[in-house]
Amino acid sequence: MPRPTVKTAPPPKKGPSMGLIGGVVALVVAIIAVAVYIAVRPDPVGDGDSASITGGGASSPSALPGAGGIRVGTGGDDVPAVHIYEDFQCPWCGLLERTSGEAFIEAAERGEIQLTFTLMSFLDGNLGNDSSIRSANAAMCADDQGRFVPYHQALYADQPEEGAGWTDEDLIGIAEQVGVEDIDAYTGCLDDEKHFDYIRDMQTRSNQEGVSGSPRVFIDGEELGGEDMNALMYDPTALTDILAARQ
Amino acid sequence: MSRERVLDLVGLVCRLALGGVILAAGLLKVTDPTGSIQSVVAYRLFDYQVAEMIGLMLPVIEVALGLVLILGLLTRWSALAGALLMLAFIAGIASAWARGLSIDCGCFGTGGPVDPDDTAYLEEIVRDAALAAAGLWLVVRPRSLFALDTLLFRRPPAPTDTDPASPHTSSSVTKGAS
Repeated sequence: MPRPTVKTAPPPKKGPSMGLIGGVVALVVAIIAVAVYIAVRPDPVGDGDSASITGGGASSPSALPGAGGIRVGTGGDDVPAVHIYEDFQCPWCGLLERTSGEAFIEAAERGEIQLTFTLMSFLDGNLGNDSSIRSANAAMCADDQGRFVPYHQALYADQPEEGAGWTDEDLIGIAEQVGVEDIDAYTGCLDDEKHFDYIRDMQTRSNQEGVSGSPRVFIDGEELGGEDMNALMYDPTALTDILAARQ
Repeated sequence: MSRERVLDLVGLVCRLALGGVILAAGLLKVTDPTGSIQSVVAYRLFDYQVAEMIGLMLPVIEVALGLVLILGLLTRWSALAGALLMLAFIAGIASAWARGLSIDCGCFGTGGPVDPDDTAYLEEIVRDAALAAAGLWLVVRPRSLFALDTLLFRRPPAPTDTDPASPHTSSSVTKGAS
């Protein structure tokens, strides 16, 4: 049977059609994107029993359920609720703590405000280290031994340049400095990454609540604006004024 | 260099600029899911669930789209997608600006709040508009140098000695061949 010669060959052969390639590429990308979403998606955090917090064992004594944050002081529900969102690696958070930290803590310990800290850890991804989550864990490990407030203060007092972070030795050294008594247990708490789940949930909960950075201060659910934040970062007496103005 | 070849070169530049920026933006975010979600949250445009979905899936799509553009595969359609993406980003940035938010666009990783003096909305919009224009060029004139499209779709195959009656040929679609 005669074959057609090459020269009279029918229309030039095409590879797979453009639509087919496009469809396959789009489908593969969509599948990967959905797979990444399912695999990486953080567990939703809530107050109810659907919360991913397993309960008392996973968090420190001052940690509120549902990744609600670390409660400090004696303020009840009848005083202004002050909620500070911070990341230990954030320089502005350090400035806020060094300027107004004492005012917050004293007001909380006198029962004038109900003070809560949410320890965020988003800067780890930004800075390419893990010092935010490790230092947050270190502070919660100190809370296990009743030393959250001085630990919190000491971390910021000696805050390294953004991105330099803390070694485990640094974190243990701070624990010794603030009077954490059982250093063996403390070291074990660091090694076990005991509060990591709770800290990740605090980050997720922050984002769920629309908090997208640090530092943020909310009083009775209302976010402080730039002017108040500026005052708190530069004037140690600013908190008194801000609270007075809300009366 | 012929006029056609100059235009093909412009096409190549558009492809690499748009594809390169989208790929870089995707790569920087794909390794930082937390920051990526938070950057979307910072725009205050979406519910958390939606922001989370965008934050996790957009970087994957950006990496793929960037690669496809750089390779020059399905240039017209990938450039259209890239241009539409840029227009969406411009809308998002402009809306943040109009609402007086002080955020970084988060285009290349963790965005979020910045000092009001440090916002760069205009620069971000100009950059994205230039990239959208590059995309539109390719939508209008998708031909460019060193594109996979040229190999796959445009160049008629050189005569070969292979059996023209091979299954590959007989099953191929010839509709629309020039």
